[in-house]
Amino acid sequence: MTEIRWHSRAGQGAVTGAKGLADVIAGTGKEVQAFAFYGSAKRGAAMTAYNRIDDKPIRNHEKYMRPDFVFVIDPGLTYIADICLNEKDDTKYIITTHLSKEELLKSKPELEGKSVHVLDCIKISQETIGKPIPNAPMLGAYIKVSGVLEIDYFLDSFKKVLGKKLPQKIIDANMVAIKRAYDEVN
Amino acid sequence: MELRGWDEFEIGSVLFSFNEKVENIPNVQQEDRSYSENNSFQASVAHWRVEKPIFNVDHCIDCFFCWIYCPDSSILAREKEVEKKGEKIMEQSMVGIDYVHCKGCGVCSSVCPTDPKSLLMVDEHDEEERVLANWPKKEGKEK
Amino acid sequence: MAEKMELHEVEVWDGNMAASHALRQAQVDVVAAYPITPSTPIVQNYSQFLADGQVDGEFVMVESEHAAMSGCVGAAAAGGRVATATSSQGFALMSEVLYQAAGMRLPIVLCVVNRALASPLNVNGDHSDMYMGRDAGWINLCSYNPQEAYDLTLMSFKIGEDLDVRLPVMMHQDGFICSHTAQSVRALDDDSAYKFVGDYIPKNPMLDFEKPVTYGSQTEEDWHFEHKARQHNDHMNSFPVIERVFKEFKELTGREYNLVEKYHMDDAEIALVALGTTVESAILTAEELRKEGIKAGVVSLRVLRPFPFIQIAEALKGVKAVATLDRSLPGGALGMLYNEITASLYHSEHRPLVTNYIYGLGGRDMTIGHLKEVFKETKANADAGKLTVPIQQFIGLRGPKLTFY
Repeated sequence: MTEIRWHSRAGQGAVTGAKGLADVIAGTGKEVQAFAFYGSAKRGAAMTAYNRIDDKPIRNHEKYMRPDFVFVIDPGLTYIADICLNEKDDTKYIITTHLSKEELLKSKPELEGKSVHVLDCIKISQETIGKPIPNAPMLGAYIKVSGVLEIDYFLDSFKKVLGKKLPQKIIDANMVAIKRAYDEVN
Repeated sequence: MELRGWDEFEIGSVLFSFNEKVENIPNVQQEDRSYSENNSFQASVAHWRVEKPIFNVDHCIDCFFCWIYCPDSSILAREKEVEKKGEKIMEQSMVGIDYVHCKGCGVCSSVCPTDPKSLLMVDEHDEEERVLANWPKKEGKEK
Repeated sequence: MAEKMELHEVEVWDGNMAASHALRQAQVDVVAAYPITPSTPIVQNYSQFLADGQVDGEFVMVESEHAAMSGCVGAAAAGGRVATATSSQGFALMSEVLYQAAGMRLPIVLCVVNRALASPLNVNGDHSDMYMGRDAGWINLCSYNPQEAYDLTLMSFKIGEDLDVRLPVMMHQDGFICSHTAQSVRALDDDSAYKFVGDYIPKNPMLDFEKPVTYGSQTEEDWHFEHKARQHNDHMNSFPVIERVFKEFKELTGREYNLVEKYHMDDAEIALVALGTTVESAILTAEELRKEGIKAGVVSLRVLRPFPFIQIAEALKGVKAVATLDRSLPGGALGMLYNEITASLYHSEHRPLVTNYIYGLGGRDMTIGHLKEVFKETKANADAGKLTVPIQQFIGLRGPKLTFY
């Protein structure tokens, strides 16, 4: 079982990202689950979304999770959300920031000594999609960090998932964003 | 009506107007229909009446307001010969009251738009000939 | 004719999307709806299918949930296959018409996405609405995950519309935990799904001008009792039809459903009884505890109404202690599962110890950790041969420990 927690602001696409990831992973024959904490959250409010991935049907419905991966897709949430909540010894963090990894660790000492990966999902999405929607770049970074799938397979599958909802131009821009994030995360 | 046990009737507390299938029923007059015992045509509320409506054909313009408003379907309309622009044709027209089903509510008289009215509520025991002979005159619009 | 949709072998759907596709595949004639969180996407997706030419039905936007169910009653009495969805306050507003639909024996399918009832206002999942409607005379089916939400919604039509049943059916799924949780769903193709559900057979439709019919008659003390008794009789006797539909569905899909579901019960000494998503979390917990040598099992009511009075006692035969977990707090009483299951066990030869836990109100998380504690307390009861804890307790509640009896 792989468990992922997304930290996002409502409107940044964490739920869509989590469902998109689940859709792609399901295509590989694994069982998936994607959900989020909803309240009466408005656009901009901090929220969390979740993925579970396993080889057998997923029966766990508790919201409590000890994540294997923590995705932070808004740079500010590193400092105001409890991103280390219920972490494990080997939890991997993928964090959106304009800072270098060293600068980030200095500004957030709690992450010192942990498996931390950084990239600027906001910048990537602005430069490729034209909007600060950082969900797709985070998926590219996850594919790199986890090594769970080949990037070409992921891009091909994700293209089909997006094809259900979006025009071609936006899909192409998303592909570029994911590939850039894959290359830039470190 | 005969009271029956819980397993002796149709589900859903539905009621059928006819026991058999019917065809073209809108073109059959009520008195010629073979209603089931559940149809309200088989019940009478005439004994509720303290006043009854009297219909005066001389003033009626066949607007059918009374026919639409009557809660007991007691306004009788039938095909009859009428004169229109000098020609005699058959047309649905008001013919009177179904006193078996009328409960005397008076709504027909209230909605009647003619002056004088073509329907008047009178004492249940009044005689039709006497009422018709003493029918009110035209009031005219108040100025 | 509506276009058919090509579905993947595995779709990733949340419970709402799963229910929407079941309505689409059943080729529902009329959906009259007033959307409410968290069931909104069910009717929203359906209206999207309609706009995209993927269904042939009618979507009627109304001004309240009372009107939504009234519209459903009218359309069903007219002779159509009818469905809608609601939750919580919307369900409450519908409740008057729920009784009407059942009394008129109209096989409407209501997708209920369970949510707490105000006050205080809360959009998250608990079973308050399910409990509120359980006496309305509908068949009540319960699901644990999106796959089951899909399966049971399809089956709802076939069960309710059966001429020996002819009752409306509620299909319950947990708000958010199921309705907004995307999971792998294996759906039938459109043709197989429709063939399974079958053509709608009108019974006494108002649009049959050869046999004019009145719906919504008034009956006083001389007739009312007999009509309600007839309704109850047909409800109580719907078990064979429900089981037959479950069996036919298994033959088609391999997925098995039972009136009462049992997990790890063959040699179980203790058991938890729950509804909805909690059942699956409890199964996981039981599996973990079995590694520690605790013979734990889980039982659930797939069919809440009609209440499987005999089958639930049979399922719990042989266990020493049972914990009933209610995700709703019936005001001023023990939990519904406690009351109803204890009544059933009272007449069985073997009477296990029974406790009641109230949990998860307003979406409060039910964790594996909580479930372990419940199992362990239940084990302690079994070992002691008597209750070692009060009958009614509350899981995950802040403040001084609250207990009754």
